Amino acid sequence: MGRKAEGAGIAMAGPISMVTRHQAGRRATAESPPVKVVLIGVVLLFFGLFLAMPLVVVFHEAFKRGAAVFVSSFTDRYTMDAIRLTLIVAAIAVPLNTIFGLAAAWAITRFHFRGKTMLTSLIDLPLWVSPVIGGLIYVLLFGRQGWFGPWLQANDIRIIFAVPGIVLATTFVTFPYVARGLIPLMQAQGSAEEEAAATLGANGWQIFLRVTIPKIKWGLLYGIILCNARAMGEFGAVSVVSGHIRGKTNTMPLHIEILYNEYQFSAAFAVSSLLAILALVTLVLKSIAEWHATRQLEAGARAGEPQS
Amino acid sequence: MSIELHKISKTFGKFPAVKQADLVVQTGELVALLGPSGSGKTTILRIIAGLEFPEAGAVSFEGVDVTGISAYKRRAGFVFQSYALFNHLTIFENIAFGLRVLPRAKRPPQNEISNKVESLLDAVQLSGLGKRLPVQLSGGQRQRVAFARALAIEPRVLLLDEPFGALDAKVRKELRRWLRAFHEKTHLTTLFVTHDQDEAFEVADRVVIIDRGTVQQAGTPDEVRNQPANAFVRDFLDLS
Repeated sequence: MGRKAEGAGIAMAGPISMVTRHQAGRRATAESPPVKVVLIGVVLLFFGLFLAMPLVVVFHEAFKRGAAVFVSSFTDRYTMDAIRLTLIVAAIAVPLNTIFGLAAAWAITRFHFRGKTMLTSLIDLPLWVSPVIGGLIYVLLFGRQGWFGPWLQANDIRIIFAVPGIVLATTFVTFPYVARGLIPLMQAQGSAEEEAAATLGANGWQIFLRVTIPKIKWGLLYGIILCNARAMGEFGAVSVVSGHIRGKTNTMPLHIEILYNEYQFSAAFAVSSLLAILALVTLVLKSIAEWHATRQLEAGARAGEPQS
Repeated sequence: MSIELHKISKTFGKFPAVKQADLVVQTGELVALLGPSGSGKTTILRIIAGLEFPEAGAVSFEGVDVTGISAYKRRAGFVFQSYALFNHLTIFENIAFGLRVLPRAKRPPQNEISNKVESLLDAVQLSGLGKRLPVQLSGGQRQRVAFARALAIEPRVLLLDEPFGALDAKVRKELRRWLRAFHEKTHLTTLFVTHDQDEAFEVADRVVIIDRGTVQQAGTPDEVRNQPANAFVRDFLDLS
C-alpha cells in the first residue's frame, strides 16, 4: 500500500482538467460499437486486475482468521506506536506543505519575476525523482558522514534515524501537491476580485482571508487531501531515513513490511487495511472537493461572461 | 475632489504604456478618457486607483500627493469592466464589503450597514435582490452592483473602466443615461475610460483623447469636435 500514492501524481492535473473532460464527452460516439466494447473491456479488466482485486485481497487477508484476530492486531504496542508516528508526521508535513503551497501558488500566479518558469518546474521535482533519492538527500546532508553530520553530533541533535528525518523526507515527497492543485485554479481565476477588494479598502490580509481563500477553498482542500494521503502512505523516502526502530521510528507502511517479513500476515494485512480505508476515504473526499472546485471555477467563468 | 496627473510614465517590460501624461479632472467633473485599445487609458486609470505604480511622475488628489499610497488607502471607487464581483458573496455582502473591512473604530454598526446597503440597492434600482448571488443576475444588473459597491465606501473620486463595454446596445444606452443622471445628483468627481466616442461625447463634460500613452487633446465635446488638435484626433474621430 505504500506505493498507492504514486497514482495520485498522475491525477494531479487536478480540478482544471475536469472542465474540459465533460465537454469533450459529447462527441465521443464517433467510435464503432466493436471498438467501444473492446476498449471498455480492456479498461474493466485492468481495473479489476490492478485496482479492485488487490483491495479485496487486503481485506480478505486481514479478516481471514476472524474479526478477533483483526482487532487484536491493533492492541500490539508497536502497531499503535506506528499509527501514532504516522499521524504525527502527517500533522507536521501537511500544514508545512499547505503553507508552502499557498505561498508558491500566490507568488507564481500573482507576480512576474526572474526564474518563475524554473521555480514552477522545480516544484514538481519530488514527483519525478524516486522517493529513495528524496530520503538519500537527507542522509547525505544530516547523516553521520553527511555535510552537517559532525556539527549535529557535536550538539547531540539527531535527525537521521529519528522523527525529524522522517518529517523531512515526508515533506520532500509531498511538497508539490498543494501548490499543483492551486496554480491552475488561481491562474484561471485571475486577480480582478483581489484588485476590487483593494480599491474597497481591504488590506493584504483581509483580501487573502475574505476573497482569495473563499475562491480557492475547494482546490486547496483537494491538494491537502492528496498531500495527506501521500504523507501517510509514503514508504521509500521514509524507509531510507527511518532506521526502522520499532516503537520509535516505524511508520505504518514500514511497520507493515516488518510484520510481513516476520510472517505475521494477518497483522500485516490488518494494518494494510487501515491504509486502504484511508485511500478510499481520500478518494471520496477528493471527488467531493474536485466537484466543488470545478463548480467554483465554472461559476467564476460564468460571472465574467459578457451578457446583459 | 480633483485629480491631477503630472508627467506620468509607465512601461510594461519594454512596452511604454504611458509616456509623460498630464491630466486634470476638476472637482465635480465627469471626464471621459477616450482612445483606441492599447492606448494606455486603462493603465492611467489603474495608476490613479493605485493598482499600478508609475515609474515617473506624480498623482495627486486635491493637490495632495498620493503617488506612493497603496490602493486600499486611496478611497478611489473603481468599477471594473468585468465587474469583478465577489462570486461567493451575496449582492448585499458585495456592497457591504468596503464597510466590513474598515478598521474597528470606523466600522459602522450592523443596522447602519444594512440601511446603507438598502439605500444603495435602491439607488441602482436593484431593491429586493440583496440575497441573490452575482451569477443569478444579468450583466447590466451586475454592473449596477459594481457601482453600488464602489459607492458604498463614499469614494473621493469614481473611476470607471469601460463600464458599459460588455453590455448590449440597449442596456448600454440606459446605463449611460443613468450615469449622467446620477452624476447630476451627486457631482462626484468621475473619470471613465471608453473607446466609444458616442459614449464619451454623450455623457462627459470634458473628453481627453489619448493615443500611444500620451494625451493628444483635452476639451469639451464641442471643442474637440470643432478644433481637433492634430491629425490623430481628426482621424480617430472620423472628422474630415
